[in-house]
Amino acid sequence: MLTLQSYLSLAAIIFAIGIIGIVINRKNIIIVMMCTELLLISVNFNFIAFSYFNQDIAGQIFVFFILTVAAAEAAIGLAILVALYRNKKSIDVQELRTLRN
Amino acid sequence: MIKELIFYTFSSVLICSSLAVILFRNPVYSAVSLILSFITSGFLWLLLQAEFLAIVLILVYVGAVMVLFLFVIMMLNINNERDKSSFNSLAPFALFIGLIIAAELITLIWINSSQFNINSLSIQEPDQVSNTLALGKELFTNYILSFEIAGFILLLAIIISISLTLRTRKNVKTQIASEQINVDPSTRIKLVDLKERD
Repeated sequence: MLTLQSYLSLAAIIFAIGIIGIVINRKNIIIVMMCTELLLISVNFNFIAFSYFNQDIAGQIFVFFILTVAAAEAAIGLAILVALYRNKKSIDVQELRTLRN
Repeated sequence: MIKELIFYTFSSVLICSSLAVILFRNPVYSAVSLILSFITSGFLWLLLQAEFLAIVLILVYVGAVMVLFLFVIMMLNINNERDKSSFNSLAPFALFIGLIIAAELITLIWINSSQFNINSLSIQEPDQVSNTLALGKELFTNYILSFEIAGFILLLAIIISISLTLRTRKNVKTQIASEQINVDPSTRIKLVDLKERD
């Protein structure tokens, strides 16, 4: 019997994986952006599960808008990344400390 | 029974591919694993009768966003040897925090399960109205303002990403349209009377 709890637990596991991925990342910002996409997917899972189990379509509308904003975020983030690489020749997380001190 | 089998198979694939996203050293492998996670999520959304969003997820994310990711990864060519180091020093701490987050969320979900107040018996099998039709009706009546704001956000994203990546080089020969339009004919043509010179 599939319940709401099984879907919510799956979403919680994906969310935790995304957070771990953001923190342990040691190479580049692209992996951080991919982990952000994982977090958004887990949130969308919650919305769709509640939408199905409550028989309310409003949850799916919210997922639609989240997908829109996530696509815009990915495009702008990658544009920032290209501009950053053009200026500093590196997108290493450890080397981006211009704003420190 | 078949739905449970599909759910547990696809959710284990989803968890494994999400782990692969954060564990691979090569960002290209991470991106391909993320594509697998998106497709698996799409199948799981099909189980929840969100057919339109599942197709949109696969088309928009796998078809557009992840191709953009792969394009940027390969254009920047960041896969050099120096990046082959192991995890940073925060790895045990991050694992600890992540496990605590997952444990807390799952405990909360299963303890409060009686208070979710859902009526599982009211869930029908797919009725006459298709998912796309229902979503469209709701989207273009009650949520029309939000829909237009979403379109405006996409327009902003286009403008911002173009203006961030546009670069004008100094020593290149281009037309300057304003100067071309504002040319005065009297400065360009000199009329000479040939007969008078003879």
